[in-house]
Amino acid sequence: MSDGQAAEGPTRRSKKPFYFNTSEHLLRISGEKAMNLSQLLEALHRCPPQSVFQHTFRTLQEHHFIRHGFSNDFAHWALSACNEKALAERLASVDVREFTSIEDLRQALVHILEDYVQHNPDAAVRTADEPFYFCIAELVVVPTSFIPDTLPGFADGLRRVSIHSIHHHFIEARLRLRLMSNDFSQWLLEEMNLPDTARAINRIDIYTATMENVRQQIVRIVERALQ
Amino acid sequence: MKPSQLTTENNPLVLGQTTAPVSTPVVGERRRFVRDFRTPPAPPPPPHLDDYQSIIGQGNLDALRFLARDLKGKTIKMVNSTAVGGGVAEMLNRLVPMLTELEVTTHWDVITGGNDFFEVTKAFHNALQGSDYQLTSHVRDIFLMYNEQNMQRMQFGEDLVVIHDPQPAAMVRARKGSSSHWVWRCHIDLSHPNPQVWDFLRTYIEQYDAAIFSSQSFTRSLRIPQYLFYPCIDPLSEKNRELDDSTVQAVCDDFGIDRSRPLVTQVSRFDRAKDPVGVIQAYKLAKKYVDCQLLMAGGGASDDPEGAAVLQEVKAAAGDDPDIFILDLPSWCALEINALQRASTLVVQKSIKEGFGLTVTEALWKGKPTIAAAVGGIPHQIIHKLTGVLVHSIEGCAYQIRYLLTHPEFAQRLGENGREHVKENFLMTTNVKRWLLQFRIVNGRQTASVP
Repeated sequence: MSDGQAAEGPTRRSKKPFYFNTSEHLLRISGEKAMNLSQLLEALHRCPPQSVFQHTFRTLQEHHFIRHGFSNDFAHWALSACNEKALAERLASVDVREFTSIEDLRQALVHILEDYVQHNPDAAVRTADEPFYFCIAELVVVPTSFIPDTLPGFADGLRRVSIHSIHHHFIEARLRLRLMSNDFSQWLLEEMNLPDTARAINRIDIYTATMENVRQQIVRIVERALQ
Repeated sequence: MKPSQLTTENNPLVLGQTTAPVSTPVVGERRRFVRDFRTPPAPPPPPHLDDYQSIIGQGNLDALRFLARDLKGKTIKMVNSTAVGGGVAEMLNRLVPMLTELEVTTHWDVITGGNDFFEVTKAFHNALQGSDYQLTSHVRDIFLMYNEQNMQRMQFGEDLVVIHDPQPAAMVRARKGSSSHWVWRCHIDLSHPNPQVWDFLRTYIEQYDAAIFSSQSFTRSLRIPQYLFYPCIDPLSEKNRELDDSTVQAVCDDFGIDRSRPLVTQVSRFDRAKDPVGVIQAYKLAKKYVDCQLLMAGGGASDDPEGAAVLQEVKAAAGDDPDIFILDLPSWCALEINALQRASTLVVQKSIKEGFGLTVTEALWKGKPTIAAAVGGIPHQIIHKLTGVLVHSIEGCAYQIRYLLTHPEFAQRLGENGREHVKENFLMTTNVKRWLLQFRIVNGRQTASVP
């Protein structure tokens, strides 16, 4: 391990503790719906950012137990209700972790849809089996009792918080940080001076693992730093 | 006694089968203390929040307590039209004590009315789900008069008043001059309502602070915010709690089910909307290629003439196949339903029309690979090939029975994902969380926008 923590000892205290939080959501039905791909595109242009968040970041949290095959609601609808496999694949390939703003994410989705609709005008107006209903996530951030200021305490918190807390810090965090990173890596880097550990955690692939697997991978990486 | 001679008289588990006995080809060792299912058992005391810790984890319980903290001392009133029977009463029976345990004291009042009122509200119920109906001023007067009577009878000093379904919807007039928040919880599908009835009700619905629906597809355009609460099951109820294998075995023995062979089950009342004959046809198609037994367990034939007719159709379709088990059970046979679902290799719900489909939720919670029709609220629960499989025809259902019985690893993965999906979205504890969030929102507690 090239991180320099070993000399300082794994139990040294950070200046700022890590506050494990979690977020809880209530779903508001926006009233907007799409019956075909053209309507989806129009609605995606004008829907509130909380809708884009709901159908991408939030839905990933809701389906955290699926190892592969689920990415976001737009891709799922393109496949299950429109039977547009190529579009579904392209939409599913949009990795939310590559975005630090909802508007950038919206533009990426719009771009894929615009391109597809332009090249497949018949598919654009074909009525879907089921409408796409736009929803809005209303969030409440909830603190937990885990506020570690040491690496062992941090590892303990990782093991014990809810899976929603892992999602909150590991995936949603980049929208708050506006960085291609996450709360765990930032704290390990800034407070514990563990750049390699921080980097290794940030490289975990969330689309080929359940969120529980992601938690276990993070714990293993932190445990290695403790050795 | 030969199993095929089992009837209501000699087996309290077989009800409503006065002419044709149930098909039970094998009977193993019988339970020593078979309950008498002709009278409902006393309901068990409600569980406490801590009892859910092993199911949802301490983190989720802590989140509930945090969300309730700001609401401590606040009060809620729930109003619906029935204290027993039906999904709403069942849900409130669990929800009310859980909210009260979180120190958000919750009262539950049930409206009263004469036969004329309940005839009107039953007609409204059907009309709101698409039936033809002529709304007259006389009908409107009956509806409003009983709503007014109930308004006078009840007091509304609570901070949040939740009115369930259309029957008491006009009681919102009682909010005038009060600081309470009012929310309408609609449990029925309003996607294709009779326009006269809906226009009449809408004037009252839009006086609420918010409306809550069970599915996005059940909603109407309204000038008030609308929220989505999925229906839910209680993992500690008699129908869903964990059972040890000896209990499952004993119930199977009672009905003569051979647990060494695959069992395909549909649990639902005997109703054409559940397509029970279609299930038998799918089973027969599948059985050309795979060995299995079929269990059709449900109720509704004893107290419903149409149900009795459907039961006869089901028996006729089953013919003399010794591997088909048809059980007409009363609604309080929850433990038996639980055991039969757990004994099943696959669960089917091949409905033609469906509300949310809580029998699907129950099967998924038990980790059962589930094949279901893509109707009503079922697609919320079954994500095709991820948490179960969706089918659109008898042939499709038959194929999926064959496929899942011959690909047990895939079937097992579906079952595991299905259980997690329920844990995340369709458990009573998630519903408690939704109510706390809803209360915070109407109370003006700020929610965050996108992080």
